[in-house]
Amino acid sequence: MRYGMVIDLKRCIGCYGCHLVCKAENATPPGVFWARVLKREYGRYPNVRRLSVPLLCMQCQEPECEKVCPTGATQKRADGIVTVDASKCVGCRYCMMACPYNARYYHAKERYYFPETGGPTPFEAIGYQKHPPGTVSKCNFCLPRVGAGLEPACVANCMTKARYFGDLDDPYSEVSRLIRDKGGYQLQPELGTDPSVYYLPP
Amino acid sequence: MALVDPFQEITNDMRATFRVQREWAQRRGLLLLLAYFFTGAGAGTWLFSWYFVFPSGLVLAFIIAAAGGVAHLLFLGRPQRFWRIVVRVQSSWVSRGLVGMGIFMAGALLYMAALWTQGEGTLLGQGALVVSILGAIWLLAYKGLVWAVCKAIPFWNTALLPILYITYGLRGGAAVLLVSLPFLGFGTALEPLELIKLWIAVSSAALILFYLAVMSSSEVTARMSVSQLMGGPVSLAFYLGVVLFGLVIPIGIGLLGNFFPLAVPLLVLVGLSSLVGDFYTTYCVARVGVYRPLAFPVF
Repeated sequence: MRYGMVIDLKRCIGCYGCHLVCKAENATPPGVFWARVLKREYGRYPNVRRLSVPLLCMQCQEPECEKVCPTGATQKRADGIVTVDASKCVGCRYCMMACPYNARYYHAKERYYFPETGGPTPFEAIGYQKHPPGTVSKCNFCLPRVGAGLEPACVANCMTKARYFGDLDDPYSEVSRLIRDKGGYQLQPELGTDPSVYYLPP
Repeated sequence: MALVDPFQEITNDMRATFRVQREWAQRRGLLLLLAYFFTGAGAGTWLFSWYFVFPSGLVLAFIIAAAGGVAHLLFLGRPQRFWRIVVRVQSSWVSRGLVGMGIFMAGALLYMAALWTQGEGTLLGQGALVVSILGAIWLLAYKGLVWAVCKAIPFWNTALLPILYITYGLRGGAAVLLVSLPFLGFGTALEPLELIKLWIAVSSAALILFYLAVMSSSEVTARMSVSQLMGGPVSLAFYLGVVLFGLVIPIGIGLLGNFFPLAVPLLVLVGLSSLVGDFYTTYCVARVGVYRPLAFPVF
């Protein structure tokens, strides 16, 4: 069993829906973005093309972050998901230096989206318990949802259905079929990290 | 209410093709750079003080290395959990560094205790000395290795970086002894150190040139780091700190020493200048750590 994701760049319209729904699902504090979208323009007028590339933790099979973590806070599970145990993280940020995908964020201090209210909103008060200050965090494929048999929030809420989630070890799964049939590729495969997130060409 | 992005830096970083690392170089990250600087200089000072038999230099080395350890702890987001770092010695260079620091501190403390109570000839003293020397060498070596394993930052991902940091650690040790000349009264015993200092300064100049030459003919991200160093926002720190204070002044005064005997204030100046250069070298290398751009297909 190896959970993986396929993102069809032809379908992605760069709406930032994944970005927002991730924040809503995981209650990430300001300045922390487990899911994000990069936009790039290629070519010269009049032949210009814009590309939106959704990014998240690649849940590598050979995670550099796990190798350098000095406390064992970062672990790779048997199902391929790389997790961070905030109660073990010492906040050295070595994993941030080692991650080639800039998928990790350091939560330096408690911050709120509406500081003028003088404290956290009820949503933040509950959600931020998962994000203690002084630690590093990252996407975990919405582990609680996956454990409950649901898809990650960014997959379930993608309005153009550009994201697919499934078992990469199963050759008959939709993700395996898409990678095989549509030429799915990984980011920076030359680093040997073997990411579990694949992209389909635009 | 005006809509102002409170995280302009993060927004810009996320948009940038070449993203610069900030966590180990800016704001609280400066503590980490100070930690590396102090531990390197402390280890170097210990080795030179032992070699030239300066008991007061040993105490100074211990204090400097301890200051490095404190800076390291202050850098951590959760310093109270530092003990957890020792559990991953088999994998992480940060863990190995902390263990090395512990070995050095324990060995150094025992050796100094033996030196001042029973003399260094005892079995305990000799054993502690060997442990402390091994610990000091470990401290000099691990810093560069911590950075060199980061594949995400090509400017650091080279075997040259550990060699550079070992050289700079030794330089720092010699410089600390030169700076403390008037206070600890080493007198003429330090004359050979001038020559060693000059030799290390020249070697580090050659190493830096070699490092930059290799990186500038390397892949595109490393070239971007070099261009930021030579002509970007870090160039002032590079030319003033690394080149002028770190190389030109120590080498220039060191060469003068071949023709005229150098006065103590001049040696102190060489030491101070070297230390400024050493810190700025670590700072500049950290500041121009650029991540590989996330490769996008070009159509």
